[in-house]
Amino acid sequence: MKTGSETSRIGWLLKQMEGNRLLYVWGIFLTVVYNVMQLTVPYFSQLIVDDFLTGENAAHNLENNPTLLIVEVAAMVLLTFTRTIIVYCACMTYEKVSQNILYKVRNRLFDKLEHQDMSFYDRFRTGDLMTRLTGDLDAVRHMIAWVVRMLVECVVLFGSAAVYFLILDVQVAACLLITAPVIMILTGAFRNRVKPMHEALRERLSLMNTATQENISGNRVVRAFAREDYEIAKFKEANTEYSKANKKTVLTWLTFFPFIEMVANMLPVILLIVGGIAMIDGRLTSGQYVAFSTLTWALANPMRSLGNVLNEFQRFSAASAKIIELDMAEPVVVDKADAIDHPGRFEGDIVFDHVSFSYDKLPIIRDLNMHIKPGQTIAIMGETGSGKTSLIQLIPRFYDPSEGSVRIDGVDIRDLKQEQLRKNIGLATQDVLLYSDSIDGNIAYGDIDMPESRVRRYAKHAAAREFIEELPEGYGTIIGERGVGLSGGQKQRISLARALAIEPSILILDDTTSAVDMETEKNIQESLRNLSFPCTKIIIAQRISSTKDADQIFILRNGQITEQGTHDELVAKKGYYYELVKLQNGGVA
Amino acid sequence: MARNTYGQDEKLEKPFDFRHLLRASVYIKKYAKQMICALLLSAVAAGTGLLAPMVTQHALDVTIPEKNKQELVLLGAMLIGIYLVSVTFSAVRSRIMNIVGQNIIFDIRRDLFGHLQKLSFQYFDDRPHGKIQIRVVNYVNSVSDMLSNGIINVILECINMVFIVIFMFMVDVSLSLVVLAGVPVLMLIMGYIKNHQRRAWQKVSNKNSNLNGYLQENITGARVTRAFAREDENEKIFADLSGQCREAWYEAVKYSNLVWPSIDNVSVGVRAALYLVGLLVIGRGEVTVGVIVAMTSYAARFWQPILNLGNIFNNFINNIAYLERIFETMDEPVTVDDAPDATLLPEIKGEVEFKNVCFSYEEGKPVLDNVSFSVKPGESVALVGPTGAGKSTIVNLISRFYNLNSGQVLIDGQDISKVTLHSLRSQMGIMMQDSFIFSGTIADNIRYGKLDATDEEIKNAARVVCADDFISAMPDGYESEVKERGSLLSQGQKQLISFARTLISDPRILILDEATSSIDVQTERALQTGLNAMLEGRTSFIIAHRLSTIKNCDKIMYISDGGITECGTHDELMAKHGAYYKLYTAQTVA
Repeated sequence: MKTGSETSRIGWLLKQMEGNRLLYVWGIFLTVVYNVMQLTVPYFSQLIVDDFLTGENAAHNLENNPTLLIVEVAAMVLLTFTRTIIVYCACMTYEKVSQNILYKVRNRLFDKLEHQDMSFYDRFRTGDLMTRLTGDLDAVRHMIAWVVRMLVECVVLFGSAAVYFLILDVQVAACLLITAPVIMILTGAFRNRVKPMHEALRERLSLMNTATQENISGNRVVRAFAREDYEIAKFKEANTEYSKANKKTVLTWLTFFPFIEMVANMLPVILLIVGGIAMIDGRLTSGQYVAFSTLTWALANPMRSLGNVLNEFQRFSAASAKIIELDMAEPVVVDKADAIDHPGRFEGDIVFDHVSFSYDKLPIIRDLNMHIKPGQTIAIMGETGSGKTSLIQLIPRFYDPSEGSVRIDGVDIRDLKQEQLRKNIGLATQDVLLYSDSIDGNIAYGDIDMPESRVRRYAKHAAAREFIEELPEGYGTIIGERGVGLSGGQKQRISLARALAIEPSILILDDTTSAVDMETEKNIQESLRNLSFPCTKIIIAQRISSTKDADQIFILRNGQITEQGTHDELVAKKGYYYELVKLQNGGVA
Repeated sequence: MARNTYGQDEKLEKPFDFRHLLRASVYIKKYAKQMICALLLSAVAAGTGLLAPMVTQHALDVTIPEKNKQELVLLGAMLIGIYLVSVTFSAVRSRIMNIVGQNIIFDIRRDLFGHLQKLSFQYFDDRPHGKIQIRVVNYVNSVSDMLSNGIINVILECINMVFIVIFMFMVDVSLSLVVLAGVPVLMLIMGYIKNHQRRAWQKVSNKNSNLNGYLQENITGARVTRAFAREDENEKIFADLSGQCREAWYEAVKYSNLVWPSIDNVSVGVRAALYLVGLLVIGRGEVTVGVIVAMTSYAARFWQPILNLGNIFNNFINNIAYLERIFETMDEPVTVDDAPDATLLPEIKGEVEFKNVCFSYEEGKPVLDNVSFSVKPGESVALVGPTGAGKSTIVNLISRFYNLNSGQVLIDGQDISKVTLHSLRSQMGIMMQDSFIFSGTIADNIRYGKLDATDEEIKNAARVVCADDFISAMPDGYESEVKERGSLLSQGQKQLISFARTLISDPRILILDEATSSIDVQTERALQTGLNAMLEGRTSFIIAHRLSTIKNCDKIMYISDGGITECGTHDELMAKHGAYYKLYTAQTVA
């Protein structure tokens, strides 16, 4: 996706400032004030020196007017105090605005992530998304909190010093200001050079994030294969690449900086020669010379900082491109503007009408027709990769079919609101994903206000109550990410309890009991038959014992239904199902 | 130890001290030469820089009043020369120090990551993964400047200060004391700020860590969120965590931003005191005008390094919070490690023996209670029994993923706690319930089991597990890119790929923990034929609930209540009419 020019990135940033703009302008105003003060405060200490130390009337003043000294000293202290307060207020204003915007953008990006469809998640690596929401956002924060402030400081200091100098003496001032275009050219060249480096650096950071994240998530596999050394070598590569990119970026700055520094250092030299000659020729008084020399820093420092400011700006620019990309990404699966409002329970009548579905141009479901009546229990079986999981993922609309339609209670699900649709579906996925939270919190995932009694009831239905209650902290036990610490069967049962607890009108169990022992599975089936709410059940399983009591069994092969009927019908048919039964029963059908 | 969640701050046990910096010196020492070199360069640059005001002074006092234009130009040229030297030296110093800084964080990151590789499952099980990640990536980045330029600058500024103090005392003792009186005042202020600041930045690191933990789980769990239409709830939680980050940051900068203005004020206060004390208290005559002028200029020079130190100090306080976290992770004890006198386990023949093994994950909750069994080389052993009975635990102990409470696990008669982990695990092929796929190509994922595997070997392994067909049918075949969460593959397909990954490693002992649960029965059957040929002569352990999978094993052990309750061949156990019999008959459909 194209993320546009730098102007559009700044435009994006300005848009984010909405609601904070006035405060920000206030911050900029304060910056101007304290910088002007920074130029004028030295005047007061100069006054003391002139009046009481080096001036012609110094001795006289001290003797006759010591109060003036105290007044002047007090003025100096007070002005500094005021200035530092203004600096503090300005800094805090920038922090406030930048944090507000960080907060706003971060939350919005998260909302974006929450509403992306599954194909988005298939495209982006976890580590990369994490980089966008952390490192990249921090670059945006830094832009608002620091880069802009420094820029304002540079402009104000340079601008006011330049004006002041021009008023003092045009000739000398012009000679000093000649350095400015040189600096502009240098920093401009630097900016062009460093720009692609920040983009590369940002990529390396993302890759390192990904390498770390996958190593942590895959720690069991790493240990199992004793691949620690390989992982370390792999990480070393990411670490080295990042380090290299970082050095390259910094060293680019350090290559330019001595030149910039040298140009800035030319200012006192120019002043000495040009100003000196002017003094010799009587065109400049020594007072004017001192005025020039005490404020040369106000020209030199902005020149020095400008490059650094631009450097940070490029970092922002590279990072913001990634953020804007995320911000602009629109899911393909969205609610229609005129989506039907259906807040209540669904009947649970599901129709697949000539449904085809391809993923990455690979056809997975081909022209499939299926009708599941409310309250029925159906089973889907088939070879690995035959499309079972893809098929059921079309029901909660994780993906849209490429052709045909899925209808629930007679309505095309594309006309429904996703949230209302999904609230009606209880899904227990194959790949059990639990959260690092209490067991209670995991089961109540679908409704955080779920009463505890309901959590317990469905834990029992899922045959999970016994083992949960045996845990030292029972339902309050914190389970690790992905439910680690629990056995496979235990995880599956919690996942099942989670799906049941929302009392869905459609329950989809995708191989949910594969790791559960037979006896427990029997109990689970028993409770599934006796649910207190009406529910259409779709079960994917490999074990005949899990599917034989279904009202209808569908056999899927290459994305098409090849057999369909009850257990007895299919056994009588002597097809794939019959073979399955035979295999699992040790030859007895 | 209690597990940590996104909603929980990680408590830091250790109190703050500068020993963390001392500890960091291990990383810095390596670059001592460069650091000293940089110090010298800086000293030369600073020394040369001192010449500049002298030249200017001479020009103003002598050259200009004498109207000597030629000399003026000459002095200008000298000034350029001085600046050239000083800029060049500082530039070289900056280059050196930036490379050192990058190298230091490279080293820290390498060690941190290396240490993570040694930590047990438990460590990863006990906290959100995003919280570990943020330490390796973000926190390490934060400390780079502190450990390179920061330290050099502290040294330089301190030297600078010492010199100025000496000069000051040489000029006037009593006025010097006035200047130095500002120091304790500043100390008091800084002491107050520091306490708040440190806690505030720790909070920032905690809150960021929480946010990262939550974010990562949410990206990984996107499918579950969608399935339960939990988006709005999650957004609320995230907004809350995000808000906490904002508050914590704002609170922290409230203190950090105080440092600089405080120094500024104290320094101006000192100057004011100088004027008042010098002029009014001591009075003209006692001290000359020149002394006061000199003292004010020294005072300014004295406070400049302090101002710089203040900035460095700020940086230190902010980043020490991160350094603490990094070292905390590095200090995490390695529970399962090579014994000091560990030997290499020779090629495994395949005899496995458990001798009175007791094991528990948590104290007081034994999972295995005095388990003993032995397996002959080449035997295939099935473990069956109710979920949570300890089947996975037994196979995990063979690979020494955990330490025993008591008893021994022997392979070929050798206690596995006395051999190196690498020599042990590299000979085992373990396939776990959770088949993790790395992002990369399918071929890469299979190759993970044997890094130098040829394409042909990869294809062969895939063929044995019946994965070749579906892989070849994909648009890019074995080179198809898969992602960690990638839904391009079904769970069964992922299992087949990780199966191929296990097989290609040519393990001496094969452990299949529910490895085929998501694979259909027919594929599994086909797979077994290939597998049997491969496994000839190798010991294998299989955990499966589908009993058709394990019927033909040499030995079937029924695990329940922390031990082995039945053991024998299928026929023997069937004849026994015990728990296995019940299980088996329940599975066969009448």
